[in-house]
Amino acid sequence: MIVYDHKVPGGKLIRVKMVITDRKIESIQILGDFFLHPEEAITSIECGLVGTVVSSAALTQSITEVLENTAAELIGATASDIAEAILLGSKTSQSEEASA
Amino acid sequence: MEEIRFIDLETNSAFENMAIDEAIMMAVKRQEAPPTLRLYRWKPSAVSIGTFQSMNDEVDIEFCESNGIDRIRRITGGGAVYHDYEGEITYSIILPRGHPLVPDDIVESYRILCGGVIKALKKLHIEAEFKPVNDIVVGGTKVSGNAQTRRHSCVLQHGTVLLGLDVRTMFQILKVPAEKISDKMIADVRQRVTSIRDILKREVTFNELRDALMDGFSESLHLRLVSGKLSKSESEEAQRLLSEKYIRDAWNLSR
Repeated sequence: MIVYDHKVPGGKLIRVKMVITDRKIESIQILGDFFLHPEEAITSIECGLVGTVVSSAALTQSITEVLENTAAELIGATASDIAEAILLGSKTSQSEEASA
Repeated sequence: MEEIRFIDLETNSAFENMAIDEAIMMAVKRQEAPPTLRLYRWKPSAVSIGTFQSMNDEVDIEFCESNGIDRIRRITGGGAVYHDYEGEITYSIILPRGHPLVPDDIVESYRILCGGVIKALKKLHIEAEFKPVNDIVVGGTKVSGNAQTRRHSCVLQHGTVLLGLDVRTMFQILKVPAEKISDKMIADVRQRVTSIRDILKREVTFNELRDALMDGFSESLHLRLVSGKLSKSESEEAQRLLSEKYIRDAWNLSR
């Protein structure tokens, strides 16, 4: 499992814990000190990301869609910040695998 | 002037405090309780984590267990907070959705409600300002952290106001590797977090801060504080939430 911390510049911390297989998210948990209203939307965001290809556009689109569908609002982070956390985390794992 | 029920400074366990906050929201939703402001302390001292955080990631559970420090997940986002019985007062304010003090613009509603704490600090001759999203700072250094949730047709905002600061214990509770708890790191935190006693360089009592908070919220939010207490049904709801939710690992260790 990849665990990656991404501090949003001027914002909050996003921690992703995820398993990525064949460039797709197999499972993911998004943690951190950000705010999301309603809070329950986090589960929908996580579910929506499962199966999503790890690319900035696809990840951002998936998160944005859930936010729109659930009328949810992120505070202290944005959909693209979460997407970036996932992307940066996936790259870390690639470099670890490459050097292993 | 609009009235708000005021539940005066009281001391409860972490589990009771969080259960009472949610029980009041549910009563306000049912229109069985008025908008409410409460002040409270935590005994035993406790650590609360934000609703999206992991207890295991943030908190040294073993240290807490051996030192009698309670651990709880909040229903609000934000970060982990050490609630030192000797070092802080927490407030919570619960208003129905649609109330003019809590506009839909979330950051704006933080700004309005944090005005109560800023005014309270002014009463103590401290010039503080709101720092979006959810902090109150004095000269750029944080003295109060705040967190909001919108559920049960209500807005709840709770926040801490630091009277004193025990950085060393805070570091032992929060997961900071022991080798990092250096004098330098403690000095770094003191650059970012401060307390009323540190700012004023004098003893400030809980009652003095309580009085300031009462006046600060009343004047800033144009509310008349009417002394009150929990109704029987709120107390029962709080007890239910405590036993079915807040003391349970299923809630506290859910992430």
